[in-house]
Amino acid sequence: MKANTRHHGKVTVVDLSGKITIGEGDIKLKQAVNALLDEGRKNIILNLGGVSYMDSAGIGELVACFKRARDKEASLKLLNPNGKVQDLLILTKLQEIFDIYRDEREALASF
Amino acid sequence: MRLHEPDRPGIRLGVGRQIKLRLESRIGYVDLVHELAEGLARRAGFSKSSALNIGLAVREAAINAIKHGNGMDVKKPIEVSFEERGDLFRIRVRDRGPGFDWAQTANPLDRENIYRTSGRGIFFMKHFVDRVAFQRRPGKGTEVILEKRFEQAARAGRSGDAVRSIKRRKG
Repeated sequence: MKANTRHHGKVTVVDLSGKITIGEGDIKLKQAVNALLDEGRKNIILNLGGVSYMDSAGIGELVACFKRARDKEASLKLLNPNGKVQDLLILTKLQEIFDIYRDEREALASF
Repeated sequence: MRLHEPDRPGIRLGVGRQIKLRLESRIGYVDLVHELAEGLARRAGFSKSSALNIGLAVREAAINAIKHGNGMDVKKPIEVSFEERGDLFRIRVRDRGPGFDWAQTANPLDRENIYRTSGRGIFFMKHFVDRVAFQRRPGKGTEVILEKRFEQAARAGRSGDAVRSIKRRKG
């Protein structure tokens, strides 16, 4: 999995691509989000558009990131989950706890 | 929709045949097990989407066996077998662990569990295949059996001899 970070004013977008799975993608996701939270970033968008699938460890890390952000009074939102990733968010009912956007401009304006 | 790559002939299971793997308990092997499961399912005639579901279910069973069954002890192997039996594609994943009470796993959809960062593996397995069964083998560990029925269209095409191979995913 790859994670590229870009800043739009007070909002940071993390473009994720590949798969978020045990032992690799989950660790990189954790590192990317922790680095932003440690820098004091409060508004984070995870762009899942390039993510093909996740496993239970990847989904677990996504929830962990959400909770860590909340604990640091930051907010973490999701952009463009596709195909299998969207199926998994619906299946696990996590679409009910995450703010999920289809349009990046709308996501950026939501903070 | 089948992959046809004559330059990369792949392993095909075939009715009544079995492929068995024995691996050290390393998380790094989970991708290998997933890719083999998905590739064999594709070659057995499942659609791309169903094959991914089978791969994801087997991935979770392998994670469980390595992490919770064998406690990441590389000296304890996991065994994974694949077979086509009648109208079923069946995968067995065995570990050497002390076993766990799979009936007592919490429902990850319950309100109080939605924020949990673990505990979705068995839930995924049950969702992605038609049947999941756990068998405790006293003194020998646990076996998880995953079964997926062949789709009707897939069955009709299973007699074809097109050589297919695993389409490697990037990531």
